[in-house]
Amino acid sequence: MPALDYSPLVERHFAHPIGAGAWPAGAAEAAETAVGEAGSEELGTRVRFSLRTARGAVTEARFQAFGCPHTIAAASWLAEHLRGRALDQAMPMPILELGRLLEVPTEKLGRLLVVEDALRAALARAQTRQE
Amino acid sequence: MDNAATTPVDPRAAAALAECLTADGCFANPSSTGHAPGNAARARVEKARAQVAALIGAEPQAIVWTSGATESNNLALFGVARAQRDRGRHIVTSRTEHKAVLDPCKQLEKEGFEVTYLKPESDGIVTPDAVAAALRKDTLLVSLMHANNEIGVIQDVGAVGRLCRERGVLLHVDAAQSAGKTRIDVGEQSIDLLSLTAHKIYGPKGIGALYVRRQPRPLMVPLIFGGGQEWGLRSGTLPTHQIVGMGVAYEIAARDMESDAARLTALRLRLWAGIERLGDVHLNGHPEKRVAGVLNVSFEGVEGESLLYSLPGLAVSTGSACTSASHEASYVLRALGRSDQLAQSSLRFSLGRFSTESDVDYAISALTEAVKRLRGLAPARTAQ
Repeated sequence: MPALDYSPLVERHFAHPIGAGAWPAGAAEAAETAVGEAGSEELGTRVRFSLRTARGAVTEARFQAFGCPHTIAAASWLAEHLRGRALDQAMPMPILELGRLLEVPTEKLGRLLVVEDALRAALARAQTRQE
Repeated sequence: MDNAATTPVDPRAAAALAECLTADGCFANPSSTGHAPGNAARARVEKARAQVAALIGAEPQAIVWTSGATESNNLALFGVARAQRDRGRHIVTSRTEHKAVLDPCKQLEKEGFEVTYLKPESDGIVTPDAVAAALRKDTLLVSLMHANNEIGVIQDVGAVGRLCRERGVLLHVDAAQSAGKTRIDVGEQSIDLLSLTAHKIYGPKGIGALYVRRQPRPLMVPLIFGGGQEWGLRSGTLPTHQIVGMGVAYEIAARDMESDAARLTALRLRLWAGIERLGDVHLNGHPEKRVAGVLNVSFEGVEGESLLYSLPGLAVSTGSACTSASHEASYVLRALGRSDQLAQSSLRFSLGRFSTESDVDYAISALTEAVKRLRGLAPARTAQ
């Protein structure tokens, strides 16, 4: 795939990411949010998920990402599909399957693992709080 | 804003070029000097040779036509090294050279040469002192680019040329990015070999030249063998149309260089002022010792590929790995000591003869929007 050539799904999520940014003013991250982060700017990808949960399920997910369009699109897709999912089965699909859905080139699949690590860290925090 | 990659052919050069293509024009082989059409083509070629030579203060007979700066660099390095390997097997160059110098150097290492790759200062300058310290008794050649293709920094090739001349070492200069943009005088700057190209300065692609000093002419072997054109240094039928186009482009450049440089400096400063307002941005390369139209900036807190993708209306180059064949961030910026992140998030803006204030203002506006959006998407850095 030539440089800067993305699938329509990546283009859509990059242009209009779902759940992007910090919580809106007035909904500051409080005790009920679980935050997970992975990666580093130096290595080109850093992702942070912030989850609000209730009764063992995700009620809302937000993300922040420093990364390429594939990274942002993957985080956005996950944020969109996390809502309503039980914490112990929150991953909507295996991350490499999401890579195929987004048509992420093989050499960039490592960046999706950073996205997954950030989400799993947030989910682990949320589960700890539940317990 | 990618004029350092290439430029459109100036309509005046294109018109001259077109005169040498068809049956009613000057299409004959310039080596066919036994008939009038051949002689007419030869005259056009020699006029162009004089036009190119004039820009760099050279004698026309010191200009050897090539296919471009890559071939010129290869001819200079391999030509001298292979012909003079008994005189010495050490070559000095810098880490920020174009691949068209670095890769031939790597090949020469395989052929038994030793190459010293000088690290520039953090502003991109390779000091003459650093070159002097690297010279050895067996140093054959120093190869140093005049203006860097990524950051636009201009090296003091005159000072390097003087010390090379004193030490009996040949100096090759890659002037692909500086010819027609800043003054070159091969005599005054003690340059022995100088690589030129047409397409960076509003001439056609596929044509360039190597200046080879005369009196004394460095001993060289050719890369291409055949009909013995260009004093045996570069065989092959001369492409009259491209040569004529290059000649006209160089003549225009010689005439307009100062006024173009003044206008482009003003545009570049306007662009930098607009970008600087974003904050957390870094100018790459020396702030003054640079060609007028090139600005290279790194953006903190922004990933390079996403930045480039956010600027579809802007033709710029990036230091990001996403567009590099090697999938690595800019080796030039890394050599300057920039972090991976800042090398990845760098953009090169290269303004040209046809750039306008409104182009610059559009770029500032598009960049401001893209950088603010991407910084807004990124996690706060204090959380790292």
